[in-house]
Amino acid sequence: MSEKRNGDPSRTVLKVEKLRIHYATPQGDVIAVSDISFKLYEGETLGLVGESGCGKSTTAYGILQLVQPPGYIVNGSIEVDGTEVLHLEEEELRKFRWTGLSLIPQGAMNSLNPTMRVKDQIIDVIESHEGKQKDREALRERIFELFQNVGLPNRIYNMYPHELSGGMKQRVCIAMGVALHPSVVIADEATSALDVVVQRIVAQTLIKVKDEIGVSLIVIGHDMGLLAQIVDRIAVMYAGKMVEIAPVENVYAKPLHPYTQLLIDSIPSIKERKPLKITEGITHDPRNPPSGCIFRLRCPFAWGHCAEVEPTQIMVEDMHEVACHLYDEQFTERRANALATIANS
Amino acid sequence: MPSPLLQIRDATKIYYSGGFLGEKKSVVALDNFNMTIGGSPATITTIAGESGSGKTTLANLVLGFIKLTSGRIIFDGEDITDMDSDQLKTYRRNVQAVFQDPFGVYNPFYRIDHVFDLVNRHFSLSDNQSEYRDMVEAGLNVVGLYGEDVLRKYPHQLSGGQRQRIMMARAYMIKPKLIVADEPVSMVDASLRASILDAMLRLRDEHGISFLYITHDLSTAYQIGDEIYMLYQGTTAERGTAMDVIDAPQHPYVQLLIDSVPVPDPTDKWDVNISLPSEEEMRTAAAQGCRYYPRCPHRMDKCLEEQPPLFMMDKPKHEAACYLYEERDIAPQELSLVENRPKSITAASSSSRNRERIAAAVLIILAFALGSLLALNREPEIVTETIVETVVVTAVDTPVPVEPTAAPTTEPEPEPEAPAGSVAIVPVFVVEREGATDQGAIIINEDSIGEIESADDRHRYTLQGVAGVTVDVKLITGGRGLSGTGFFAPLATIYAPDGSIVFAFDRSRRSNSGEFTFGMTGTYEVLLGADERGRGVDAYTITFSGDMPTPTPMPTLPPLAFVVERDGATDKGAITIGEDSVEEIMDVNDRHRYSLEGEAGMTVDIKLITGGRGLSGTGFFAPLATIYAPDGSIVFAFDRSRRSNSGTLTFGATGAYEVLLGADDRGRGVDAYTITFTAAEG
Repeated sequence: MSEKRNGDPSRTVLKVEKLRIHYATPQGDVIAVSDISFKLYEGETLGLVGESGCGKSTTAYGILQLVQPPGYIVNGSIEVDGTEVLHLEEEELRKFRWTGLSLIPQGAMNSLNPTMRVKDQIIDVIESHEGKQKDREALRERIFELFQNVGLPNRIYNMYPHELSGGMKQRVCIAMGVALHPSVVIADEATSALDVVVQRIVAQTLIKVKDEIGVSLIVIGHDMGLLAQIVDRIAVMYAGKMVEIAPVENVYAKPLHPYTQLLIDSIPSIKERKPLKITEGITHDPRNPPSGCIFRLRCPFAWGHCAEVEPTQIMVEDMHEVACHLYDEQFTERRANALATIANS
Repeated sequence: MPSPLLQIRDATKIYYSGGFLGEKKSVVALDNFNMTIGGSPATITTIAGESGSGKTTLANLVLGFIKLTSGRIIFDGEDITDMDSDQLKTYRRNVQAVFQDPFGVYNPFYRIDHVFDLVNRHFSLSDNQSEYRDMVEAGLNVVGLYGEDVLRKYPHQLSGGQRQRIMMARAYMIKPKLIVADEPVSMVDASLRASILDAMLRLRDEHGISFLYITHDLSTAYQIGDEIYMLYQGTTAERGTAMDVIDAPQHPYVQLLIDSVPVPDPTDKWDVNISLPSEEEMRTAAAQGCRYYPRCPHRMDKCLEEQPPLFMMDKPKHEAACYLYEERDIAPQELSLVENRPKSITAASSSSRNRERIAAAVLIILAFALGSLLALNREPEIVTETIVETVVVTAVDTPVPVEPTAAPTTEPEPEPEAPAGSVAIVPVFVVEREGATDQGAIIINEDSIGEIESADDRHRYTLQGVAGVTVDVKLITGGRGLSGTGFFAPLATIYAPDGSIVFAFDRSRRSNSGEFTFGMTGTYEVLLGADERGRGVDAYTITFSGDMPTPTPMPTLPPLAFVVERDGATDKGAITIGEDSVEEIMDVNDRHRYSLEGEAGMTVDIKLITGGRGLSGTGFFAPLATIYAPDGSIVFAFDRSRRSNSGTLTFGATGAYEVLLGADDRGRGVDAYTITFTAAEG
């Protein structure tokens, strides 16, 4: 069943281009996701981070075509294995979800139906895509294999969700997400409600399953510690914009965007007591974003130019992109000053 | 010596489950726990541990939501179990709570100022409007907010951090001495947590408010905590200052915990080859001796004999309960229990329950007087189960195939067949308690709350189940309790003959009705008063009805359509949102409010007919509608937790119920649909 696919890191499995998602309100549209573009390579784990309301979950729901009204996709292109998702008809799309793309939603453990046995929920996912399965024996074997993939014991087959621990429920959700062997799995805050030891077990399970089944993974989260442990690349979003995307080592060692620097700075430590660094979160009216750079109202380095021109993604080095004027060649002096300020603080 | 603010002595909380036909099971949530929070200066005391460690039980005990099995909690010299209603009111003022979910505690359709208005009304803070406004402003300023920025906003317009700080401001206005903060930052972005932690520090340092900070996040405890208690399965594994314990953990469990905190450095990755304990192992505890024995890499035979006491480490007040430190001195028990003259001893009481309590109190005081060598006898023997063993199969007296626990090797259970000759009428189920029977309803009134607060046999009812028959369960609440706090109190759990839970009114269920189908024929047990985590109770009635295979004919009433009103227009029993009108209900404004006249005790069937696309096929359900009672509490919701597209609601009060469509409290989306309301009975 689970043929091992060797990930080809140069092959793009998911290509998102200029994806823009709005939420309609009587007072005007809220721009939830603003023309973001990124690629996901085969076998890769990409972390998508940012504070609540930055559009990271909306991006995930957009990729799955699950944006609910009043949200709607304004423009963009989402290609999965060469298929343009935005062109799919409703029925094709329904089939494509969970076979091409799947989601482990936020608070997934509370998404399980408390009145249905674990087996029935997984069977539901399988049968809603593949039709009624006549060979019940084979179906059961298939579910046991899924259990094995996610490290669950077979005895939970007949159990109800409340009989399982949080980590086990989360693993049932992972099993449901990978049941139909999709190319891309999106895990939205999949471990954030778990205790540290269990979180570690579940996070490692997720990575193990990814490697075994050969899916590519997008991990949405805000725990920078956890992401450091499990992802290959990190994409940082702020107020609907992609501000930086880079290999994980670069993001932690030398974050370029001032917002990424703030994120890295606010990682709570158990090594030293630091003064609390208080930030207010996204403060502008999302219906009426500031001109120029989206982050300029909170940016310690903003100057006149930032209000006039919106920064575009600049490829600073191999695989490391940032949307900030400081990295524009014409402002090298400002950049040097900014870096000196950071070094001094 | 300044008198301590909070003293917890030999606190034990045991939850019982099962046991009607099978063996009685008990789970010790808290085991002989001791803690002292000093009076002055104010401190932040952290209680940390994994789920099931007893930390939320401790919070609920201190908040008075549940009662101790044995032991004492003394607040400001008064034992909280003996408080009369006036003292309790004062206690509630002095001890405030801030909870985990910064969304769930707000009614999404009221502006923020409503939160403060409710506090003012409930605690009568001020009659004078301008004085009251100043109080609100002062409260907001303490947590770094300004009235003009937040008061006229709706909850969804604020960040999680702002919402939690508003809860702190709300608590501050009541001027408590202690705030129990149960995971206040865990649902808030890391970058915004600092503002909440800062608010806690300001309340501690500038306003003398102490915190009992319940968390599983060690890094925040490290940043702001004074003392820390690391709990493991209801016992203190280690305690000391947060910095001492986290910098140099001594107990093997605490060492594993701190080692598992992910390091925010991609070049220092987890060793993926390390064999982590399976989750079942993690839930395992020894029946005797050290609770950590099954998981401990350093376990010794001695650990099985007796639970290790707290041994003193090098740093002052740093103690760890592990025999690795056996040669060290045992930490002295905190003997001096500072309290006012216990009320329960002076006040004559005719209630046997009080007498028992007095006896227990006297015994405990004696135990203290004799010193720590006299351990309280805590029989019956406590067995903490692994998750495997919690499902106990006992023989039932009918020839129904019993499902084995080791299910994988057996055929999946056949679908229960609908009983032949089932007639669609609505008889009631017989509920039995101590031999007395009742027709389909369990009524707990104000007077009988007392008797179900202790987890004993008195709150067990039985219900005869026939496989395949479906029963509608409805809950009609009333009386005191958590009402008005915005929190839902759990009330009932129904156990199948095999001991598994088949139905529960608990925190995750926002509706007051539900149904379940008997999976087997036999005696089902209804346990009231506390769920498996022992959360509190209230005055209420639970009714059971459904289609019985052997019906007693009863007159059926023609279904009445309820009148649904919106903006003056009325409709007979249905709200329809077409594709065209989806747009207009997206915004949180008045246009998607409907009202429904409810009459107390009347039941309405609610059906949802969806249309359009949505989450179908993904296995996840999109939220759609919420019904509010006249007092503002949520009585019914089509939301993620409800997977069925129908339900029933019994009105608890007469008045206008509000039906709000379009988004749940997290602002999740809507779809084209119709909701119908029909009367279930007259």
